[in-house]
Amino acid sequence: MRHAWVVGTLAVLAACGGGQTRSSLFSTNWEDDGGASIGRVWQRVGNAPIPESADVVVGVTGHNDKLIGAPIGGGSKWTFAHPLDSRPVVTGNVVVGSGGDEAFALDAKNGSVLWRRPTGGIPLLGAGDDGTVTVVTFRKAGAVGNVLLAVAHDGQVVRQIETDKPLGAPAVLGRLAFVPWADQYVSVIDLANGDEAARVTLREQTSRAWTQGGSLWFGEAGYIRFDEHIKDASKGKATTVTVPARELPGSPKLMPSGDKALPPVADATDRVHIYARPRGTDSGAAIEDDRWYATYFRVAMGFGAGQTNKGALAWAHLGQADFVGGAAASGGVVLCDEQGKVVELDAKTGGTVGEMDLGEPVKACVVNVDAHHVNGTPTDAMPLAQQLATVVRADDPQLVVAQKLLLRELATTEDELATKTLVDLASDPRTSPDLLVEARTALGNRRNGAKYMEAALARHYDFLKDVLRPPPVGPIAQALGAMKEKGAAPLLASHLLDPADTEDDVRQTGAALAVVATPAELPTLRQFFGMYRASAADDDVAAALVSVGQALIQRGDSGVVAAAAKDPSTVPYARERLEALLSSPPPPGAPTPTEPGGKKKK
Amino acid sequence: MTYPAGVPRAEAKPPAADVPKAIPLPADAIKRLRSGDPAQVKGALDEVRTSARAGAPAAPVIAELLEKGLTPSLTQAAIDTLGDTESEAGSVALGWYAQHRNVELRRSAVQALSRTRGAVAVKALRQALSDPDPNVRGLAATGLGSMKAKDTVADLFVALDHKVAEAAASIGQLCAGNECDRLAGKLGSVPFDVVTSGLDQVLFRPPSDVSDDIKVKIVGRVRELGTGEANRFLRSVQGKWPKSWSQRVKQAIDQAVLATSGSPGTSGGDPQ
Repeated sequence: MRHAWVVGTLAVLAACGGGQTRSSLFSTNWEDDGGASIGRVWQRVGNAPIPESADVVVGVTGHNDKLIGAPIGGGSKWTFAHPLDSRPVVTGNVVVGSGGDEAFALDAKNGSVLWRRPTGGIPLLGAGDDGTVTVVTFRKAGAVGNVLLAVAHDGQVVRQIETDKPLGAPAVLGRLAFVPWADQYVSVIDLANGDEAARVTLREQTSRAWTQGGSLWFGEAGYIRFDEHIKDASKGKATTVTVPARELPGSPKLMPSGDKALPPVADATDRVHIYARPRGTDSGAAIEDDRWYATYFRVAMGFGAGQTNKGALAWAHLGQADFVGGAAASGGVVLCDEQGKVVELDAKTGGTVGEMDLGEPVKACVVNVDAHHVNGTPTDAMPLAQQLATVVRADDPQLVVAQKLLLRELATTEDELATKTLVDLASDPRTSPDLLVEARTALGNRRNGAKYMEAALARHYDFLKDVLRPPPVGPIAQALGAMKEKGAAPLLASHLLDPADTEDDVRQTGAALAVVATPAELPTLRQFFGMYRASAADDDVAAALVSVGQALIQRGDSGVVAAAAKDPSTVPYARERLEALLSSPPPPGAPTPTEPGGKKKK
Repeated sequence: MTYPAGVPRAEAKPPAADVPKAIPLPADAIKRLRSGDPAQVKGALDEVRTSARAGAPAAPVIAELLEKGLTPSLTQAAIDTLGDTESEAGSVALGWYAQHRNVELRRSAVQALSRTRGAVAVKALRQALSDPDPNVRGLAATGLGSMKAKDTVADLFVALDHKVAEAAASIGQLCAGNECDRLAGKLGSVPFDVVTSGLDQVLFRPPSDVSDDIKVKIVGRVRELGTGEANRFLRSVQGKWPKSWSQRVKQAIDQAVLATSGSPGTSGGDPQ
């Protein structure tokens, strides 16, 4: 394979007169120059205007042998048929791809071919373009090392460099190639002579260089701006901005490593991804709109990046299909799903402000946004609680991990809709077991939305009516008891006697009734007490018995409790506790003392 | 629709009432029931049970014991005993235990309710049709039939549609006019033996209760199936048909047996 590459490239160079460099570039014997060389490069090109890149979505379709390009914000779609062995790259105004033993560059606006070069079948890693020359890095197949190729837009090979060092995705500015390598260096290669004009050591993991928003950036786990502070990068004083760390489903990455070829077909790391856009500021750099984004299959989420909202969930959006590509933009995020649908989501609300269709499902999708601003009135804006409710109620087993996280977010909101959603989730037989546990726990901790809880309690198991799952009685009882919701007492009492409810439900119901029962519930309380006084089969029901005994005592009906406390046939667990209650009754309305696990104190 | 294979038909416990001659309730039985001593209570319950319907005067006391609460074994004995007294005075307490968390106690309570009867019992059994336990549902369906609770036929049809097989026989015991025809209409969608357990009940209800027209119509429905099992059922009915009963229905049965005698799966034997 390498032989084919060399032969092919040499033939190109011979024909075009380009320079082939086999030198001490990327040498590890290099000594840190304290930022002197990169400082000179900054002086040389730091103020040079950086042209805007194309705003375009490129989908990989067919059998990985067709590209569909669609300009964002208007313009005609284009297609280009070509086999692909890696993910295409959009840089500047070109789309670079590889496959079929050659590399090619297309005009991003219309898909026309700018140049083609034989490669011998090595896959594309990354590319940069400054409007006149494209610099492309390739991974050598089956061997250590990489190849860097600089091709002018007229097709002439400007420079070819082979190295055994792992190169990342390069950028080009003023005929200087900025080439990240070994995860910590960026070497600046003068394309005119092939020399390493400068090198900078970065203190953040770096395998990518690119231009965006009028600035040159380096990074992988974060963003380092090429500005006047770059000379101090080795001291850790470069202008740096990162996405706040927080729990995310699937532990997504901000950017894939630039020194590994991405497959032409999207994989899980494309579906579970972080998107953000760095922005140069007077004082350095920031995250655009104070907002960053994460996807988890067909769920998109917006998070705060500012000082006051760092990492806080701002919105959640449920798409129609898995998101496989995207890019953060000014004003929002542009996401592409596997059905070829592209949505623009508002940074602030997560509402849809724009839609586009590539026309067919895609295997992968590359989104590049530079100048385009996402704006407009969202068509589906809704409050956060409602957004979270929509996502956590989605019947899609693949989403459970994200749903668990968002359910915890939902549980922290004051909106009564959150209570309703938790009730629905905990009642729905389709809810996954993992999510059910979380929903029940969160429901028990709610302190509003009693009307939704009471509506749920009105349901009972009913075989003939096909109600085959009782409502989440235990958590609801826990919440209603804590809320001292006396209006719920009749419904709670009805569940005390329902054999379809779990023992834990009964225990929680008894505890709640100790707080909220009224004289109207006395007949039911007496019935329960009589039925289980001597036949409670487990500690949960016995604990409920004690709670009911407490309710009876507090409501002036202590005779039956006193008799039970003396009767040896009363279950021992309850008997000793009933005796204690009779000797020192708790004040009216006090909850039955419980241990941390919810069990009665022994 | 498939009915669960092997679901046992609700079987009523042999009632003490089957004992040829009732034994009078001992004079001190009620006193011993009130003793608070488990052994004495158990002994008294056994004696009340032996007395069967003659033990009815003890029913309110037993119900009171259940309402105050007994150990599981005494609870079981008290429920069974109340059933044997066939006293409606026990229905309220039995209704409580038809909702007990112990499924064995629920089954026993439902069986006992079908013997103590009354509006409270009907209400409890109707509710028990929706019980989580299939045996409780079956026993409730059977009980409603035996109690002649005619206003529960609609519930029984719902139960039948929910694969409570025992509901068919009860519908057969209770149905009127179109209801009986509706049961026959289940042929083909509900297992044959389930539907005919109800149709058999309809055909052998007295002429004053179910008209000949309905019976002839049902025979016709079965005949239309033209299957071996239809033939076997019809022959069974033919063999049991009382000589003094309607000749018109008899003629319909005879013709149906003949018409289905060559059906696939028909076993040997000449039509009678």
